[in-house]
Amino acid sequence: MRELSIENLARVEGHGGISVTLDGKKVKSVTLDIHEGPRLIEQLVKGMTPADDLNVIPRICAICTLSHRYAAIRGLEKALGIKPPEKTQLTRDLMMLGENVESNSLHTYLLALPDFLGYPSAIAMLNDHGDDVKRALRLKKFGNHVMAVTSGRIVHGENPILGGFGKYPSRKALEEIKMKSHELVPDAARAVEIFASLDYPKYSEAEMTFMSVNAPGKKYGFAGDSILISNGKEVDAEDYKKLTNERVVSHSFAKRSLYQDKTFTVGAAARLINMGKRLDGQAADLFKEHYSDAWRKNPLYNNLAQAIEMTWSLEQMPDACDRITALEDPPIEQPTRTTGSGTGAVEAPRGVLYHHYEVKNGLIDVADIITPTAQNLDDIEKHLKLTAERMLAEDKQDEEVRLGLEMVARSYDPCISCATHLVTLKRV
Amino acid sequence: MHKLRDAPGDLEEGLSRQLEAIARGRMVYVLGLGNTDRADDGAGVIVAERLKKDFPSFSFSEHDGVEGTVLDISEKGGDAVVFFVDAANLNLAPGEIRVVRRERINDREITTHRVAVALMAAVLDKAGIDSAVICIQPRATEFRGAVSEPVTQAIRTVESALKSLLAKRNA
Repeated sequence: MRELSIENLARVEGHGGISVTLDGKKVKSVTLDIHEGPRLIEQLVKGMTPADDLNVIPRICAICTLSHRYAAIRGLEKALGIKPPEKTQLTRDLMMLGENVESNSLHTYLLALPDFLGYPSAIAMLNDHGDDVKRALRLKKFGNHVMAVTSGRIVHGENPILGGFGKYPSRKALEEIKMKSHELVPDAARAVEIFASLDYPKYSEAEMTFMSVNAPGKKYGFAGDSILISNGKEVDAEDYKKLTNERVVSHSFAKRSLYQDKTFTVGAAARLINMGKRLDGQAADLFKEHYSDAWRKNPLYNNLAQAIEMTWSLEQMPDACDRITALEDPPIEQPTRTTGSGTGAVEAPRGVLYHHYEVKNGLIDVADIITPTAQNLDDIEKHLKLTAERMLAEDKQDEEVRLGLEMVARSYDPCISCATHLVTLKRV
Repeated sequence: MHKLRDAPGDLEEGLSRQLEAIARGRMVYVLGLGNTDRADDGAGVIVAERLKKDFPSFSFSEHDGVEGTVLDISEKGGDAVVFFVDAANLNLAPGEIRVVRRERINDREITTHRVAVALMAAVLDKAGIDSAVICIQPRATEFRGAVSEPVTQAIRTVESALKSLLAKRNA
């Protein structure tokens, strides 16, 4: 028996590893080990006011900070009977577009691409692909800028609040976003060109089920009140527990999710598979050109999906800015009740994020947060096991197997800190 | 005569000498890294935010967007050095300070929260800009914790040494 391990999986957020136990060529087990300690945030916010909760909850993650804040806002607004005005909704949409560009640019260009091009890191890519590294930095900088303009700060902005925004972005700031987003579309489209030209190893292929938030109005987007499943079903977000069925495993601080006893996938590929026909502009053309049945079997296509989605996000910004500018700043909508419950579902860059709240007499009584990575963990392990089995059957060397496993895990863009919950090959 | 131990002023003097030796008459930028939600982990951000009051064009922190700041500095070019300030676990006594030159910055990338320091240093190097990391050994990094006493002292020492350097080099 021997173990092939990747003790600290690089280029993912948080601390984790992958352990594969082998008996000859047979894979006995594959575990995605989570080394991050639990932070117990759901307990920490119990007894807080909803406003205080909003200042703690985004601290779960510094990269999808706005997704966490927005999911919490949506859940709490439902619980307290708050209906956000149109300008609030549009500004929240813009904030999510910024986060999507910020996160997808970093993951595609700097975290995933080195594997495909044969470099150990983006640093090693710098000499041969310096322009692409700079594209990534430009896109990330701009995504951060949009986040700061809408939320007040690059990380953990506190401007989005229940019922509105503390302050709406100025006309000048929106004009700048409109101009710059248009300028940066070619940088995002370049990521599509690169990821569409790559060979995707088939070792991890298997039938997959995809879940994503159903954006309202038959449009593409990052928030909604129901969940689309690639089997054709649609489920109310309030029934999220029926979709996730969380359970605890011994090797991880993160809970695991199964839908109808099977693993499922959330993320950019899930969004495009379920809602890709709703895309418009150049992103729609790129999706039509590059989508294939392989997307439904191979998690590596999530990288290409992220690149297409990043293009879409930039293309949407000018219109979003115009629509926000055209509206007067509305007053902040106030709660209509102090007791109630609600589930906020948003699409973080990594996939569906749920924040469920029960509020009693103005204080948080129950908080339940289910992150995209926690939902993806079982699916990642399934595809890691297939990859290990198939690569070993072809007598691949340990180093090749390790890289193959890391590529699969990274393609999900896992956020271990969020999941609080990466390779060890053990031979028996 | 041999000194039995360093006094606080000696520490700052020693750090100032090291930083001067790296800066060698060049323009100086400070970029504070870390997470102020996690006690001592926010040391770099605290240093940079304090320096920003007197040197708003030369001191930046995680709150300003690290990648964007590095990109801006690299595109400006010129004869310059960037000092990253960050809490780093070097298995030293809490509050101890070490300066790590660009060549020795570890290139492991274990986070997506932002681009690794090594990549930022490499981007700067490509633009002809030098860099180094001023590391402060943390004691406590728990969520919503207070900055520990030895790290508070180290923050003062680093802030003071960088303040003198910025005043001299960027006048």
